[in-house]
Amino acid sequence: MNVPKQFKFILVGLCLLAVASIVYKTNLLSKNKDSFGADESYLITYRYFFKTDTAKTFIKTYLPKNNPHQQISGQKSVMPNTVHFSTSADGPNIKGNWICEAQNTYESVSYSFLFKGKGQVFGLPENFKPHPEGIETYLSATENIQVFASPIDTLAKSLREGIDSDKGTIQSLFNYVHAIPSAPIITLTDAVSALERNEASCNGKSRLFVALARNLGYPARIKGGIILTESNKRTSHAWAELFVNGVWVPFDALNGHFAYLPANYLELHEGDAFLIAHSPGIQFDYSYEIRKQESLPLLNEEAKEVEKVTAFSLWGLVRNKSISKKNLFLLLMLPLGGLVVALLRNIVGIRTFGVFLPVLIAFSLLETGFTVGLALFLFLILFVGLISRPFDSMGLLHTPKLVISLTLMVLVMTLGNYFGVSFGITWLSSLTLFPTIILTISAERFSKLIVEDGFQKATGTLLQTLLAVGVCFLLFSIKGLDAILILFPELLLLVITASMVLGRYIGLRWTELLRFQPLLNSKFA
Amino acid sequence: MLRNIFRVNNPKGVIGLNRRNIEFIYPHNQRKHYTLADDKVKSKMILHENNIACARTYAIIDRISQIKSKWSELQNQQSLVIKPARGCGGEGIKILKKGEDGQWQSSGRNITDNQIFQHITSIISGLFSMASNDVCLIEECIVPHSFFAEIYDEGVPDFRIITLKGKPLMAMLRMPTSKSDGKANLHQKGVGIGVNMKYGTLTQVFDGKNYSNHHPDNTARVNGKKIPYWFTMVQLAKKTAKAFPLEYLGIDLVIDKVKGPQIMEVNVRPGLGIQLVNKCGLQSTLS
Repeated sequence: MNVPKQFKFILVGLCLLAVASIVYKTNLLSKNKDSFGADESYLITYRYFFKTDTAKTFIKTYLPKNNPHQQISGQKSVMPNTVHFSTSADGPNIKGNWICEAQNTYESVSYSFLFKGKGQVFGLPENFKPHPEGIETYLSATENIQVFASPIDTLAKSLREGIDSDKGTIQSLFNYVHAIPSAPIITLTDAVSALERNEASCNGKSRLFVALARNLGYPARIKGGIILTESNKRTSHAWAELFVNGVWVPFDALNGHFAYLPANYLELHEGDAFLIAHSPGIQFDYSYEIRKQESLPLLNEEAKEVEKVTAFSLWGLVRNKSISKKNLFLLLMLPLGGLVVALLRNIVGIRTFGVFLPVLIAFSLLETGFTVGLALFLFLILFVGLISRPFDSMGLLHTPKLVISLTLMVLVMTLGNYFGVSFGITWLSSLTLFPTIILTISAERFSKLIVEDGFQKATGTLLQTLLAVGVCFLLFSIKGLDAILILFPELLLLVITASMVLGRYIGLRWTELLRFQPLLNSKFA
Repeated sequence: MLRNIFRVNNPKGVIGLNRRNIEFIYPHNQRKHYTLADDKVKSKMILHENNIACARTYAIIDRISQIKSKWSELQNQQSLVIKPARGCGGEGIKILKKGEDGQWQSSGRNITDNQIFQHITSIISGLFSMASNDVCLIEECIVPHSFFAEIYDEGVPDFRIITLKGKPLMAMLRMPTSKSDGKANLHQKGVGIGVNMKYGTLTQVFDGKNYSNHHPDNTARVNGKKIPYWFTMVQLAKKTAKAFPLEYLGIDLVIDKVKGPQIMEVNVRPGLGIQLVNKCGLQSTLS
C-alpha cells in the first residue's frame, strides 16, 4: 500500500494514542473485574409508613441475598432516631426488623439496594435421580398446600397417566396449572381452592403446583419475591421450585416460565410466607419503588479505580441519562459499521445502497429480529415497486412520485402496526418509528435505483446490500460490544486510522479479480 | 503477510476502480470541473469555443416560455436531435426527421408540435435527469459513416478514446447488437471492439464474455479492418483533452458521413471495461 510520509505520521500517532489509552484502562478494569455479568439492574426502595402503637411497634420483611441469580449491593436503611433496625436469620432467609419505641406517632422508614440479575435457564433431564434424605419437609402437606387432599391426589395421578418420564410429568403438571385462568385474587387461595375455583393468582397457582408435585414425590417449595419493572408497586410475586438432581429449579406457572427464572425476578424468600409482617392493628402502608438502572456487563461500579476508567469513557452520558444506552450504542456503531461496509465495498467490491444505510438497516433488524425484518424489508420493496408502477405511467415528476410511494408505504406500515397490536401479532407490531423510517428509505432507494440502473442491476445491488446488512448484523450481535465501545470510545480513532489505510488501497477488488480474470490469467495472454 | 494476501498476479497492469479513483481521477480531475463534462450543454460550449468538430448546436432551451419561439426558428432544418443536458442512460433523447410531406417524424411516425413541446417541457422539468430541472439541447443529427454500417447498421455506435494529460492511452469501438436495443454499452449487451492505436485498425470483438474476430450479427471479419480518419480522430481527441481543464477523460467520437470525425461527449469517470476489450491493462500504457 502506497502511503505518503505525513500520512504515516498521523496514522502511527493516532494508533499509539488509542492503544495506550486502551491498555491503561484495560489494566485498571482487569483488576476490578465484574465477573457476575448481569443482564439487568434495578434500584429498589422499600417504603413503609405506619402509625405507632402504645407498645413497641415492629415491622418485619424479607431482605434479598446474593446467589447465582442475583447480586445485591449498596444496601441502605433510612429511618428516624426512634426506630431501631436489625437483621436476623430466619431459616435460610434474612429478615429485616424495624422496632419503634415512640408511641402514637407517624413514622416512615425506607430500605434500598441495588439489584443485578441474570436470567437462568435450567435443562431438565428426562428422569430425575431419587432425592436425598433430609428434605422430607419439601414433600409434606401444610395448611395451604394440601398435598394429600383427594382432589389433589386424583388430579396428580391423572396428569401423570401415560407419561413415563419425570420431565414429562412435570411438564404435564405445569401445563395444567398454567392453563388455569389467572385472576388477581387478594384473599388467601390454598391449593385445593385454586383447583376448585379454577382461577388463581400467583400464590394459588404456585401452591397448587407445589401440592401436585409433592403428591407425586417431587420435593417442591414456594419462592417469594418481586418482579422488577420500572414502577411503584405493591404487589409481590410467588413461584415454585422443584428439587431436581441437587438443584432447585424455578417454575412460574402464572407467567409460564418453565425451568426458567427471568433476570428481573428479585428473590426474597423461600417457603410459603407473607413478605411483610407488622404489629397487629396498626395503620400501615407500603410501596416498592423500582427504578431500572443501565448497566454494563464489564463494569464493577463499586470499585473506586473503575471511576478513573469511566471518567474517560462515555458511560457518564448514560448514567446522567443524557442519552440512552441503546442510542449511544447506535451512534458508536455507525462508524464501525461504516468501516465494515467500506471494507466490503473497496476490498470485496460489492455494491450497496450508500455506506451507512446497510448499517442502519442492520440496526432496524436488531429491533424486529433478523428474519422478520428481512421479510418485511423485501415485502416493502416489492410493494413500492408495485404501487409506483401506475404512477410511473402517469408521467409524474420524480420527487412528487417519491412522496406518493413514501406516503403509501407509511400508511401500510402503520396499518400493519395497528393490526399487529389489535390481534396480538408481535412481528407486525414490532415496527417502531426507527425501523419504519430506515426500511422506507431503503425501499425508496431501491425503486430509484431501478430507474437509474435497470431492474437487473438494481436487484444485484439490493442482494449485495443485504449481504452487507447480514455482516453488520453479525457484528452488532457480538455480545458485550456495546460495553466495549462505550468504555473505550478511543476505538473510534482506530476506525479513523483503518479508514485512512483503506482510503489509500489501490489494489483490485475481489469482484474485479473475477471481472478481469481473462487478463490476470497469464496462460490466456 | 498482509501483502501476500493482497498480492495478485497482474502482468498486464490492469487497474481497478480503487486505483482508477486514487491515481487517475482524484489527482487529475478536480470535482468542480466535473460539471463541464457531465453537462452536455457546457461541454458543447467548450467544444464550440475551441472550434472542435462536433454536432452543430441549433438551440438551447432552459425555460418553458422559450419553447415555442425557439422551436419556430428551427423549422428550416431537415433533421435534429433533442436531448437533456444532464440525462442519464441515454434517456430522453429523441431524433426527429422531416417526412416527405414536411411533417416532423420520430422513429418513422408523425409527431405533432404539441407532442414535441411536451417532450421538451419534460426535459426542462428534469424528468430524465433525476433532478428538479434541466436544460434542453437541440442539435444537428449526425449521419454515421458507411464504415459503421459495414459492421452493423443499426443503433448508435461510437469510438471511445481514453486520454491522460492530453495523451491518448487506449481506444475502442462500441457497437450495438441485435440484443442491445440500439445501445452500444457493454453492459447493455453491446460489443466492444479493440483498436490498434498505432496502425488505426480494429482488433478483436469482445461481447462481455468471449472474444471473436467478427460482430455477433455479421460474419465478416472485423479484426484488422482499417478505421477511416483514425489519425484525425486521435488529433481531435488530443485537441479536446487540451480544451477541458480535466486531465483524465473518456472521449466519445463518431464519424459523420459528410463532416468526418465529430466529438459526441466527454466523460470524467470512463469505465474500465476498455481494458478487457483491448486485452491490455491501462497501467501498462503509461510507460
